[in-house]
Amino acid sequence: MGLLLVYFLWQAVFSHSQSVFGYEKPVMLTYVLGTSVMQALVLSSRSIDVGGQISTGDLSNYLLKPLDYFRYWLARDVADKLLNLAFVIIELGLFIILLKPSLVVPANSGLFLAAIIAAILGMVLYFYLSFLVSMTTFWFVEHNGWPTRFLFQVLIEFVAGALFPLDILPAAVYALTRFLPTSYLLFFPMQIWLGRVNFHDVWFGIGIMLAWILTLQFLVKGVWNRGIRVYEAYGR
Amino acid sequence: MFSRKYLFVWLKTSTLSLESVFSTKGSSLMYLLGKFIRFFFFLWLLLRLGDQIQKVSGFTVNQLIIFFLVFNLFDMFGQIFFRGVYWFRQDVINGQFDFALLRPMSALFQVLTAQTDLLDVPLFVIVVAALIKEGISVPLTMWFLFAFMGMISFVLITAVHIFAAALCVLTTEVDHTMMIYRDLSAMARLPVDIYAPLIRILLTLVLPVAVALTFPAKALMGLLGWPYVLFALIISLIFLMASFKLWQYSLSQHTSSSS
Repeated sequence: MGLLLVYFLWQAVFSHSQSVFGYEKPVMLTYVLGTSVMQALVLSSRSIDVGGQISTGDLSNYLLKPLDYFRYWLARDVADKLLNLAFVIIELGLFIILLKPSLVVPANSGLFLAAIIAAILGMVLYFYLSFLVSMTTFWFVEHNGWPTRFLFQVLIEFVAGALFPLDILPAAVYALTRFLPTSYLLFFPMQIWLGRVNFHDVWFGIGIMLAWILTLQFLVKGVWNRGIRVYEAYGR
Repeated sequence: MFSRKYLFVWLKTSTLSLESVFSTKGSSLMYLLGKFIRFFFFLWLLLRLGDQIQKVSGFTVNQLIIFFLVFNLFDMFGQIFFRGVYWFRQDVINGQFDFALLRPMSALFQVLTAQTDLLDVPLFVIVVAALIKEGISVPLTMWFLFAFMGMISFVLITAVHIFAAALCVLTTEVDHTMMIYRDLSAMARLPVDIYAPLIRILLTLVLPVAVALTFPAKALMGLLGWPYVLFALIISLIFLMASFKLWQYSLSQHTSSSS
């Protein structure tokens, strides 16, 4: 339903103009449809439940088991995303059959492959970001850590480019977002798909994504090690 | 006497909600910040659109902003007063609801008003102030029509929450019902005229979020004809009666199995 709002808003915007914010109608409609699909795959993570486990003390059950806690959640994420993929295919199929939008496909197989790689890296990036947010519950137990999650989700919707492409932001703000991990979750893969970035920028962006993944991986482990020291298994 | 008792209970639950807000200051601040960010980012997008285009589906950007403000006004009304429904599932499952049935006052009232979401109040005040500023040149008759459509909106929003509570008694499920309602109502952040005809009909007749959230804005802008006012009145009364019927039916099916 969120997709319908965004899709019809932009459809209405283009009813009087050929080009808005430097985007032509099929390009913008592909962008909003693409980001909507990617939201289900990239911006979904079961690690949302980690905060609840910390606040209720259920985490203790997992600490006692001979399993790697991060890999456990990563595995659950993969399963969840596969399930989401099945639903997305059905929803997208229905959407295309019913509304017949004119969509843009990548100009060549190289761009297609790069967009897929960027989307997969976006999923890994989001996993670490989401895990980091959940771990704030070690210090901030109120409401099962949900307030931090709520704020994070509200912010992500805008700074990842779910509602509008980030390049419509004021130039200075947009330049800043290019160095933040959030703009690589939805906006960057879609820019590759639409062919709005050149070969050099594709590799530069993927390089930044890899650097962020390594940084966040390091950060998550550091925060986990500190968090586990203050964990008191409330409710157990 | 009758209404004083209900007012007393509502004030008591609201006071408890307020105490809860202050006892979890950090959380309250983050919720508040999230609500503000969501509101102002969307408003910024509308203003940014105004730099590029003159009209969207025949509406100026200023009119779109009024639609957005009115949507927030009535949407927040439901959030502020009927927040209790969101926690109702737990009461049905653990048998707490049976105590509400035993008390000498409407169980439905207790369910709906068990919580008051005071964190929506600051934004609510801002929206009201912005609407007054935007509508300063609007004739008084339009304001009266807006107030009348506002009452219809209150009735519809109340009916939706009664439906959700009744479904919860029948199925012990409320989260997904409310999630669907929230998603559907979010579609009325902008005038439903932007949607395809079939979606417009669904949002007007099947689940009338358009009547509750778009019609009052049209009334304020003088874009709502009298036949639509009459239609809104009839559909809101039908919805309210149907919701009461469903609530009565759900009570007749309640088995108190958790008690």
